[in-house]
Amino acid sequence: MIKLEGVSKRYETQPEPALIDANADIAKGEFVFLIGPSGSGKSTFLRLLNKQEEPDAGRIFVAGKDIGQMSSWKVPMLRRNIGSIFQDFKLLPTKTVSENVAFALEVIGRPRSVIRTQVPAICELVGLGDKMAKYPDQLSGGEQQRVSIARAFVNRPLILLADEPTGNLDPQTSIGIMRLLDRINKTGTTVVMASHDRGIVDTMRKRVIELSNGVIVRDQDRGVYE
Amino acid sequence: MAFRADYLLRETGQNLFRNPSLSIATILTVAVSLSLMGAALLVQQGVGRINNVFRDEVEFIVWMDKEVQPEQVESTADFLSKSIYIKAHRYIDQDETYQEFQNYFADEPEILELVTPEQLPTSFQVTPQDADVESIRAIADEIEILAGVDDVEFASDNIKAISSFSRGSSQIMLFAALLSAVAAAMLMYNSIRTAVFARRREIEVMRLVGATKWFIRIPFMLEGLLQGVIGAFLSIFAVFGLNRAFDNFFGNLNSFVFRDFAVPSGQILAIGGILMVVGAVLGAIGAGVAVTRYLDA
Repeated sequence: MIKLEGVSKRYETQPEPALIDANADIAKGEFVFLIGPSGSGKSTFLRLLNKQEEPDAGRIFVAGKDIGQMSSWKVPMLRRNIGSIFQDFKLLPTKTVSENVAFALEVIGRPRSVIRTQVPAICELVGLGDKMAKYPDQLSGGEQQRVSIARAFVNRPLILLADEPTGNLDPQTSIGIMRLLDRINKTGTTVVMASHDRGIVDTMRKRVIELSNGVIVRDQDRGVYE
Repeated sequence: MAFRADYLLRETGQNLFRNPSLSIATILTVAVSLSLMGAALLVQQGVGRINNVFRDEVEFIVWMDKEVQPEQVESTADFLSKSIYIKAHRYIDQDETYQEFQNYFADEPEILELVTPEQLPTSFQVTPQDADVESIRAIADEIEILAGVDDVEFASDNIKAISSFSRGSSQIMLFAALLSAVAAAMLMYNSIRTAVFARRREIEVMRLVGATKWFIRIPFMLEGLLQGVIGAFLSIFAVFGLNRAFDNFFGNLNSFVFRDFAVPSGQILAIGGILMVVGAVLGAIGAGVAVTRYLDA
C-alpha cells in the first residue's frame, strides 16, 4: 500500500536533513507507529505520503502509484484516498460537528444525498451521534478528535495518517481514540500514526518504525517504545 | 468536478460580506476607473461625430432657409463661385441631408418617421482660399445677409478648439482611467488576499481532503468578478448621466453640429458592454492571480 525507496528530504531553512535514505514497505490493512523524539522526521514521513512535501531523492509509492511522477492535478485524487488527523484537530470553529464532517464531502463534489446519509452514519460510528449540532468549542478535546477522525474517514479512504492524534489528550481519553483508530484499521484501512506516547505504543503492540535524526533505526513487528 | 450552486452562492456571499469596507472600496475604485474610461470613450465618440460633419478641410457651413427658393440657392452658389476668397463649395441637397440625418438617427426610428426630406434644410459646405480667421469672418458676414441664407456655422475657431480640447481631455481621461484601473486591480488583489487569509483554515482542510484547486479558486474568482461587475454597473450610470449632461448642454446650444455630441442610447449600451467586460475580466483575473499565488505558496 505504501512503499518508500531511498527517500531523503531536507528543508531549506534547516541545516540538518529531516529524512535520510528512508526505506519502508507498509502492506494494506497494517497499523504502523512512527516513533521518535520531536524533530526526528515523523511528520515529514507523513507529509511526504500525501504530497504535502516533495522528496529530494528516492521514490514513494502509494496504492501502487509512484506519486513522484504524479501530475499536480491528480494530487487531489490521491488525497481523497488518504485521510489525515492531527494533534490540533484542524476543525472549523464556525461549523457544527455535522457541518465539519459534511464539508469534507461537499468540497470534493459529493452529491447531497450521499452527504445526508453518510454524515450521520459516521458521527454515530465515532460516538458523537447525539452531538452533531454542537460547535467544536462546546466539545471536549477527545470529542473534537473524534470529529476530526469522522471527517478524515467519511470518504472511506484507503489510508489514514495520524500525526500525534493523542498529543493533546489525557491518557484515559487517548485510549478511547486508540480504540476508535483500531476499529477503523479493522475495516481494512491502513493506519500510519506518528506518536511519542510510550504508553499507547506499548499497549497496542503494533509494528513500530523508529526514527532518529531522520534515519530509520528500527522497524519491528509487534514492537514496543523502548 | 461537480459544483453545487448553493455551495458557490454561499461561499461567494460570505466572502463578499466578510469584509464589507474592503469590498465597497474595491467596488468604488472599479466604478471610478471604469467611469473615467467610459467618459473618455464618450468624448472620443462625440469628437468623431463632430468631425464627421466638418470632414476634410471644410471650414464653414452655410445653412439655407427651410423655405428657400431655387433661384436663391442658385444665386448663393453663384456668389460662392465668384468670390475670390473661396476655394471650393459643395451643395448638400435635401436627399443628401436626409441621408446623413438617417445615419445620425439610425437608432431612433421614431424620429426618422416624423421627418421627410422636404422638411430638412439644405446647405453649402465651403472651403475658403486661406485659413485666416479674419478674412473668413468677413466673407461669412457677407454670405449671412444673402437672400435665403439662414445661418453660417464655423468650423474654424470654436469647433476646432473644442474638438482638440476634447481629444486632449479624452486622452488625459484614458490615462487617469489606466492609473485608477491599476489601483482597482491592486485593491482587488488585496481584497481577495484578505478573503483567502480569512479562510486559510477552510482552505487547508479543503486541500487535505482532496478538493481540486479550481474548486478552491472559483468562489474567490467569482467574488472578484462580482466586484468588477458591480463596479462596472455603477460606472454605466455615471456614463449615462454624463451623456445626458452633454445632451442637455450641447442640445441647447442650438447647433446642428454639436447637438450630435451626445451619443444615442444604442452606443451608450455598447460602451456599457465594454465597461462590463473590462470590469469582469479585471475582477476575475485579479482574484485568480491573488488566490493562485496564495495556494501555491
